[in-house]
Parts: sequence; structure tokens; C-alpha cells
Amino acid sequence: MTRSAIQVDLETRLEISDFLVQEAEYLDDRQYEEWLTIFAPDIHYTAPIRVHRKSPASDIVDDIGHFDDDFASLTMRVKRLRTDVAWAEDPPSHTRRLITNIRIRLTDIADELDVRSNLLMFRSRGDRGSYDLIAGERQDRFRRIGQEWKIARRRAILDQSSLGTKNLGVFL
Amino acid sequence: MFVYSDPDVYELELERVFPHTWLFLAHASELSGPGSFVVRDMGEQSVIVGRGDDDVVRVFLNSCRHRGMKLACEDFGQVDMWRCQYHGFTYGSKGDFMGTLLGAPFERQAYPQGLDRKALSLIEARVETYQGLIFATWDKKIAPLSDFLGDVRWYLDLLFGRAEMEVVGVPQKWVVPSGWKLPADNFTSDAYHTATAHSFMARLNLTKGVDFGRDGYHVAPDNGHGLGIGTHSDDESYFPPELQEEYRSRLSEEQYELLSHLKNLHGNVFPHMSFLQPNFIDIDGKKVSGLMLRVWQPIGPDKLQVWSWHLIEKNGPDWWKKAAKAAYVQTFGSSGMFDQDDTENWEAQTRNSNTALARDEEIMLHYGMGLGMEPLTEFPGPGHVFDGKFSEAAGRKYWRTWLDLVLKEPEK
Repeated sequence: MTRSAIQVDLETRLEISDFLVQEAEYLDDRQYEEWLTIFAPDIHYTAPIRVHRKSPASDIVDDIGHFDDDFASLTMRVKRLRTDVAWAEDPPSHTRRLITNIRIRLTDIADELDVRSNLLMFRSRGDRGSYDLIAGERQDRFRRIGQEWKIARRRAILDQSSLGTKNLGVFL
Repeated sequence: MFVYSDPDVYELELERVFPHTWLFLAHASELSGPGSFVVRDMGEQSVIVGRGDDDVVRVFLNSCRHRGMKLACEDFGQVDMWRCQYHGFTYGSKGDFMGTLLGAPFERQAYPQGLDRKALSLIEARVETYQGLIFATWDKKIAPLSDFLGDVRWYLDLLFGRAEMEVVGVPQKWVVPSGWKLPADNFTSDAYHTATAHSFMARLNLTKGVDFGRDGYHVAPDNGHGLGIGTHSDDESYFPPELQEEYRSRLSEEQYELLSHLKNLHGNVFPHMSFLQPNFIDIDGKKVSGLMLRVWQPIGPDKLQVWSWHLIEKNGPDWWKKAAKAAYVQTFGSSGMFDQDDTENWEAQTRNSNTALARDEEIMLHYGMGLGMEPLTEFPGPGHVFDGKFSEAAGRKYWRTWLDLVLKEPEK
């Protein structure tokens, strides 16, 4: 796939970029109900497992992952976070998501774009100043529905074969 | 309390517990054909679990006999032979040091006096298998696996023997700042925590009260294993109708009857292999539960690596495979809605265990639930079985088994 050509106009590029920045704000500010609105009803949200393999074997296993969610289960996770017994994230982690290296490509479908971006999440819990870094690539399928963009597919490829954070109580 | 994470206790465990008990390493379905292997740990030692060209599964210390370099440097794969990337010493799939041309490079020049090939074979552990679960031990004298598992086998059949089971993909792995025994203790005998730690279930109207944590049986077999069985009284089995015939053909009548009323099942095989058929949940009008297998791999006194496998019936219908996998990932595993709360607790317990007070002045904790309760006399399964899951009987046996090993001086 050639990466040299600019495939989308500047306006679209800004829309996508603003969208991802807005999403990061929703998550870091724990506006989870607003966050759910960014997804299409048929969202499939996954995070495959990374493995250490000798080249040229793939180091990504999609048969199972850290997430395997649809709209209903993401909604359930959000509802759970809003109870007073979501112990793992209450008190909540301090998070900061940095979204960079946005790459946008056209797809075979007119109103859909493939968007890849890099995610670096700082996550701090507890009273000793310790923190985890969660790094990965998001592979998103954007779909234009009316005047709005929605994410119809997210595949978050994390850069650790053994995660260094004690749970994924935070969204990728 | 200090034993949860004390560094000196941990050293004793590496010396006296892990080398002298059976350790679960892999499921047979992870080794698809001759030459296939996975890399696992026994205690803190890296081992290769490999299927030889004779189809026999063997376990080798992942260490070349020349300078101790790791032979397998990837998580899994398939090879014809093991060739050390340091000096090229080469071993066959049965662990044998290979002949002149393949064994050591430039062997005639480097070792004109010759090499003792037998003495250079890879260091091999004892391996035995139950229902596709591959165990190994370094101890040549301890009783066979079947004796060690004993009564827990009857219950393992319900999860791993009811059908031809296979691992889906690869295990999830992640690091939790917790002593390794805390989650093992939890899976052995702690149905009680579900009512509080996982009370979001009731808050979101997914369960009624504590029924998923209380209704059923607590089982305390010998040798430190333990489990809890949640049951329902509905007429229909919660498991897929498409699989009933296979279940029936593989289980005894009593086992099949219990499986037909199974709502959830948690447990632990000493020291650190946990298993769980999570509480069935309704998804799109169907009852679903995703089977899980765990190892709480120690990587330090107060740090563990979780290995979490999902298994499914190989001959199961597609809807069951898809829904069970999603249910497993959403409820357990690294992002699981249940798992998250557990890891938070184990970390905080470990931190308290690390404090000076806990080490210098022993703090005793309460392990008395179910003391004085009489086991049922008419239950089809073996072991001490108690009515209702609220009991720590198996937990007391777990710690007794652990203590006996920790206190046992190694034979010289």
C-alpha cells in the first residue's frame, strides 16, 4: 500500500484529528456516556494479543484478545463504572492519553476511512507516585453517518506481550 | 499474614514448594504436531514443553548444556531441532544431543577427544497428563499425578473432560503486584468475596443477591486442592443442547447430572493452577459462560504474572464458541469486569503484607469460615463436600499443604 499520497482533504483530516482528541478528553475526564456516542451501533472493539515469535511469524494473535466487545458490552462496562462498587477504578486512575501519528486511508466504501493512530496512555494509581505506560496502535474504521463520524471498528494493538498494568480497567 | 509476600518465605518456596510438587504447564491442544512447543515456567525456571517427533510430550529445562543459554527464545513455535544461538550446540526433539555433524559446530577441531553425548542431553522433567492438562515436576520421588490430583479429578472432568476441549488462541499474560498465593487462595475457597467484591452484578440486576456466590457446594479434596460448585434447579442444562450427547458419552451419570445443574464452578489445583466456569449470563436470550484456566506464575515475592487461557468444546456450535469467548474476555481476563476488582484487592493485601509490622510481629488473619461444619454424606462426587459455598475448609487444607512443603528440609 502506498503511503505517500495524501488520500483525504485537509478538512477531513482535521475532522478526524479533532474527533480523536475529543475522544481522549472524554476518556481522561471520565465522560463515559459521551464516549459511547462516538461508536456506531455495530461497533466491534478488540485488542489482540502480542506474542514473541521469530521472524517472519506474525507477532499478533487475533483468535482471542484483551477486549472482545460490542456496543452492549461497552455500555455494560460504563454502567458498571457508574456504580459505587467499581472498586478497581474507584478511586479512578489518573490517565492521560496522547494520540499521535494519525494516518488516514480511503477504503472501498465511500463513507468509510481507515484511521491508524498511536496511543500512549499514562496511568497512575495509588499513593506512591507509580505509574504504568500503555502503548499501542489503534486501528479504527471511521464511518460517516449523516453529518457525523462514528467508529465502527477498533482494533487496539498493544505493544507488550505481557501487560505491565494490573488490569485493563481503562479503555484503549 | 507476612507469608503472603515475605522474601525469605519466597526463597523457601522456590527451593521447597515448586520443585517438589506437580505444576500445570500447558494444555495438549497447544501442541498441535511433532516439533511444536510452548515456553513456560516451573517456579522461576524457564522450560520448553515440546511434542517430539515421536508425538510424546516432554518438558526440558530451557537451557543449553554448554553455557546455560536459553534454547527457545520465543513464546511458542515449531522446530525440527533445538539449536542454541550462542555456540550452536544442537538437540533433537527428544532432548538428545545430536551427532557429530549437527551436535556441536567444528566438533572434531574443538573437541578432538570427543564428547560424552549422553551427559549432554537436555535436563528433563517428569511429565504426566490428565484430561489434556500437562503437568511436570522435577521431583523423581513424589507420587504420580493421578495420586496427587486424587479426588479433584472427578471435578476437573466436568470442565476439561466433558468434551474434547481446546485452547482458543494463546494465553493472555499480564503482571500484577501481588504475592502469588493470594489469587490461588481466592480460587480455592473464596466464594464469599463475590457478594462484595463483585457486587456490581447485583447492582446492575444481573444476579439476585448473593445466589451466584452462595448456592451450591464447597469441596475440600486432599492435597491442598479446592473448589466451589454453583448449582441451579432449573430443568434445562445451561450448557448448549448441541453438546449434550458428547458430555453424556464422556461423563459418568452422576457427573452428567451435576453438569446439567451447573451454574458456575471455581477452584484451584495446588499450588497455583486455577480454573473457572464463570456464572452463566444471558446474552441475546442464550445462557453463556466462557471457561477459564489460570496459572499465577511467581516472578518475585510480591509480583506475579497471570497466565489466562480460554478453552472451548472443539465440537461446539459456532454461536457457543463466539459467545463464550466474548463472555470470557468481558468478565475475566485482563479487562474482565470481575478480574479488575480482584487484582485491586490482591495488590492492596500484598502491600499490607509487606509492612514491617506484619513481618516482625505476626498478624494472624481469620480463616475460620465453615469450621465445625459436617461434610455431606450423600453427594455423588468425592472429597469433603459441604452444603453451600460459604466455607474455607479447602483453604485451610491449601495452607496446610503449603506449610508442610515449606517446612520440609530437602533431602541431601
